[in-house]
Amino acid sequence: MSSSKENKSISRRNFIALAGGAAGAVALASMGLPMGWAENSPEVDVEALGLDKFSTDVLVIGSGMAGLFAAVKAHDAGAKVMMVSKGRLGSSGQTPFAKGIFAYDHSNEKLSIDEFVAKVSRSAMGSNNEVYTRQMAEHSMARVNELKSWGFFDSAVYHKSFSKPIEERNIPVQERIVVTHLIKEDEKIVGAAGFSTNEQKVIIYEAKSVILCTGAGGFKPNGFPIGDLTHDGTIMAYNIGAKVTGKEWNDGHPGKSENAAASYDGWGNMFEQKPSTVSIEVHHDLGVDLNYMAYTSGNPVKMGGPGSENKTTVSGGPYTPAEFDRKNAQQNQGPQSEEGRPPRGGSKPPGGGKPPKEGGGPPGMDGDRVGGSSAGMAIHKSEGLVPINDQCESNIPGLYAAGDALGSYMSGGIYTQIGSSLAGSAVQGGVAGKAAAKYCKQVGNIKISDPKINEIQEEILAPLKREAGYSPAYVTQTLQGIMIPNFILYIKKESLMKGALAYIEELRDHHMGMLRAANFHELRLAHETANMIVSAEMKLKASLMRKESRCSHYRLDYPEMDNENWQAWINIFKGEDGSMQFEKQPFGQWPNEGVDII
Amino acid sequence: MAIESINGCIGCEECIKSCPTDVIRLDPKTKKAVITFPEDCQICHLCRLYCPVDAITLTPEKTIPVIVSWG
Amino acid sequence: MGLVMQKERKIFKLLSLGVAFIGLPLLLWFLGDFPKRTLLMDSLSLLTILAFSLLLAQFFLARTNRGLVKKVKMSYVLKIHKLIGYVFISVIMLHPFFIILPKFFDDAVSPMDAFIRLITTFDTIGLVLGMLAYTVMLVIMVTSFFRFKLHLKYKTWRTFHAYLTVVFIVAATWHVITLGRHINSAFTMFYVIAVASGIFYLLRTYLVKQPTQKTIKNV
Repeated sequence: MSSSKENKSISRRNFIALAGGAAGAVALASMGLPMGWAENSPEVDVEALGLDKFSTDVLVIGSGMAGLFAAVKAHDAGAKVMMVSKGRLGSSGQTPFAKGIFAYDHSNEKLSIDEFVAKVSRSAMGSNNEVYTRQMAEHSMARVNELKSWGFFDSAVYHKSFSKPIEERNIPVQERIVVTHLIKEDEKIVGAAGFSTNEQKVIIYEAKSVILCTGAGGFKPNGFPIGDLTHDGTIMAYNIGAKVTGKEWNDGHPGKSENAAASYDGWGNMFEQKPSTVSIEVHHDLGVDLNYMAYTSGNPVKMGGPGSENKTTVSGGPYTPAEFDRKNAQQNQGPQSEEGRPPRGGSKPPGGGKPPKEGGGPPGMDGDRVGGSSAGMAIHKSEGLVPINDQCESNIPGLYAAGDALGSYMSGGIYTQIGSSLAGSAVQGGVAGKAAAKYCKQVGNIKISDPKINEIQEEILAPLKREAGYSPAYVTQTLQGIMIPNFILYIKKESLMKGALAYIEELRDHHMGMLRAANFHELRLAHETANMIVSAEMKLKASLMRKESRCSHYRLDYPEMDNENWQAWINIFKGEDGSMQFEKQPFGQWPNEGVDII
Repeated sequence: MAIESINGCIGCEECIKSCPTDVIRLDPKTKKAVITFPEDCQICHLCRLYCPVDAITLTPEKTIPVIVSWG
Repeated sequence: MGLVMQKERKIFKLLSLGVAFIGLPLLLWFLGDFPKRTLLMDSLSLLTILAFSLLLAQFFLARTNRGLVKKVKMSYVLKIHKLIGYVFISVIMLHPFFIILPKFFDDAVSPMDAFIRLITTFDTIGLVLGMLAYTVMLVIMVTSFFRFKLHLKYKTWRTFHAYLTVVFIVAATWHVITLGRHINSAFTMFYVIAVASGIFYLLRTYLVKQPTQKTIKNV
């Protein structure tokens, strides 16, 4: 591992002296902690690296559920499409672990779509964007039927079924490409850039339109399979002037206290199950309530198994509308219910009356829990680029986003309809793909200038070229230590968030630009770490700004909902001077225009 | 820790491609999958599920300290 | 009674071979500290290892093993040779299917897809050698079974059988050493020594003219 390599370096000895003597350093090393500052000894010849260039109409970044439909629908609408992914088609982001997909069935549902949307809005306490809630429900069945025809429901792993429509259409897919930059020229998108971990070269994509299907993100927390999700799309877009939103909401999944890092084991055999469809079941699943319980009454937080009594009752804490309060109903639910584990949307087993075949939801729900298993991730579809209309379009012409990369507020600041996450990604992918293809028709050929390419290439490879620097693993762990504790992001109060912000700003100013990488794996980690730092800053600042509690955002110092001031979303964008700017966008309106959503 | 061993690898690269966190790489000499960055393993078992010859052994333990919110 | 005694004596004479080609691989297996799998899969693995080991033992259950042929009647040696050959070649024939068996028990990659992936991965020399060995093995088995229908002179057939065996065993051992799930330096040494001495015996028998050799009709 990396620590053994660093053993020899002189600067490590200096670090040891600074860190409080050899004993301390030995203790650190024995724990497997990566050492921070050290000399860089690149394993690749940076000067000899090649550069590839590709041109396309629509560039789809990401190969999960949203990316699949974005590519397919953009192609079917007549565009030349190319897909790039940090991972593999059907095997990256949260998609491979999502097993429930919502399908609104007109013939069987008791609720009409209007009633469904109204119910979601009641649970979301106004924080959802009804246009996207409705769009998801209306298109869900069509997308599910397409998935069915590709064999999606026949296997627990999705690469094969995802490959079917992509191969039929001859859409080129490049896997294991880390895209680090979006490129904007003349106020519109012209492409993206990144590097290939396989071929060890920089790659430039010239594209008339880009669809970000880059998923959500977190702080590489333990116990949740989101180690590859670091808000890359959001931060890349923010860097070129896109507005982003949703940074104050929290996904509050706990993990198992025993082997807290084992994502697979925490979910029983769920990752091995075939996916299935889910019908209407609207919840108000906080997750943050468990964090509040641990905060007020200490540990351990025991999760009741079926039939067990929930002895701990705490007063106060996050508010759940009475209609959606499951505390009483919880006792009666069978083993297949999602009790004990707040749902994580698409990837949870179908709850309620639809037990999965393999004998219920994740086993091992009893026992001690630890918090923060999905730390750094917001509610599905709440965090990401701000859409300017119902076409998944961002404020940058030609730049679209779909799925968890789009802050569509399909669900709101709380997770509402189970299985809607996966359905929403499919639906939004399709909408964005079609819209991007249409946009391309009015755009001429793209040519990215050479100086721009050189500038970006320098930025991409900078960590490889540093003679010394901080290891990305060390900076990530430092960031985790600042951001993951219960009293920062989950149970929020001003003093502690300001304290954490001071640390994060320090990482931003004095570590982000000094990350080193010896190989392309570390180069990926370096870029991911930088994205996490910027995202942490956004999360703290947005959380400080929202001086109320609503849905999954809970402020200990402002525990009440403030409808007078906070019927609004928070948008974040880069100011002229490069500083982070914030604005409110009233619920029910599109940004800036004061135009009502409905 | 985490991904523990690969036995009987045929070099098809399914695990390398399907690992979301780039833990496994191909040894250019032996043409077999090698656990290269185990510290980044998120124990999601995708490598094992995609492996056609069931060559991969994983354990739930992780040796690096795990940071959690409360616990 | 006398018959039983005779049989026991024969078995006793075969004991050293049993120790070398059954006992030793079993011991190496238990000392090997290989990752545990299900009982079914571990049993099949062990069966495959023993099958391969016993096919290596075939070198020493033939005319090449002069000492044994002196002690035990040739016809008896040949009976064992045939039995081991047919039974354990069948096991080896099935081993590619054993490998994908776990795919029947989960909902991930289908057994068919896994099998296609298995037999179309030509990047590794081990797999190519495996398929070569598999084919040669089939030829050995078929030509042994239909030996009399081939209308070859006995000596021609025997030479054909012997040299084909060398090709098979070299390719197969190489395949096992590069790809085997249960391979370590101990197993490697065991296989290499067994193969080397086996081939040595064989070449000694076939290349060096034996002054005492009698003409033997089809045995």
